[in-house]
Amino acid sequence: MAGSDYLDLRLGEFLDSLSAPAPTPGGGAVAALTVSLAAGLVTMAARRSVDSWSDAPGVAAQARALLARAGPLAQTDADAWHAALAALEEPRGETELEERLAKAAEVPLAIADTAADVAELAALAAEMGEGTYRGDAAAAAVLAEAGARAAAKLVGLNLTVTADDARMVRARGAAEAARAAAARALDSGP
Amino acid sequence: MSADVSDAQLVHRCRTGEAAAWRELVDRYSRYVYAITTQGFRLREHDAEDVFQEVFTRVYDRLDSLRDDSAVRPWIAQLTRRLCLDRIAAERREQPADELVSPEAEAVLADLDESFAVHEALSRLPAQCREVLDRFFTRDESYRTIGDALHLPPGTIASRISRCLAKLRSELDGRSVAV
Repeated sequence: MAGSDYLDLRLGEFLDSLSAPAPTPGGGAVAALTVSLAAGLVTMAARRSVDSWSDAPGVAAQARALLARAGPLAQTDADAWHAALAALEEPRGETELEERLAKAAEVPLAIADTAADVAELAALAAEMGEGTYRGDAAAAAVLAEAGARAAAKLVGLNLTVTADDARMVRARGAAEAARAAAARALDSGP
Repeated sequence: MSADVSDAQLVHRCRTGEAAAWRELVDRYSRYVYAITTQGFRLREHDAEDVFQEVFTRVYDRLDSLRDDSAVRPWIAQLTRRLCLDRIAAERREQPADELVSPEAEAVLADLDESFAVHEALSRLPAQCREVLDRFFTRDESYRTIGDALHLPPGTIASRISRCLAKLRSELDGRSVAV
């Protein structure tokens, strides 16, 4: 499903398109939306914690910004995937093919980076936020970790990325940071 | 002259005939005025330039009539708005000027006003706050990228941004309100 923005779809429509045989939306889009959902949970938890946590308004603002950053990456990922696929299937110059494949790797890398930041905020909210909402923040941290790990995997699958590639190192770093943050979130609170 | 100089101080210096202060006043408000003419009222380029010139000519001529020096921003905004309406009304003589501002344009003008207020408040923050907020909110940089650039642990960036946002909030709350 290319050409329409996933953010404009109803949730049921998106789920239908996800289970359809078309190759997109795929793992990258779902990772981006998972990170968006996590960012939304952190925003809510932080907003509910402003009376007891001085950093809560700032954390809410950052989480909202990360939500706005991650959501559009779902469509960007699908568009980049289609562009790379077209370049692979059609006779094009090697340079254009590499450019499109490299672009396709940049999107999951951005998702992984954003996921790591959402996980960090989620951990802060789980540690410092209002007690009732710490569980939501911990859930957000786990979701963000999942998004980071999925995105890192997709970076590694790109044909232009080698094991010691700087992009792969960065993606693994993001996934590891998200994992550590999620562990903090799960260990925090009552 | 820096952003540390308040609007009231700047207006006072303009009144004493300080040329550098006048240049600073124009520099500080030129983008604001231009944004009102082009984004708020969607004037054509040459009309926007005419209004721009007229606004600052009138500001120069009438600065002594400003009662509250700290209220120069809403004063300039009102002046620009009136001149834009005059320009539009001159083209559509049958329509009262007050009816020429659509709800959409009002929303754009409100956004511009808020944006300028945030921009002003940002300019009063410490340089390290301006940088970290710009990197995160404008350049969409990750905590790791920001930390690498500023030689800070990535885990401290989120808290630093929160503290800087709190300072920004204080600056905004302390701003002068429109007259």
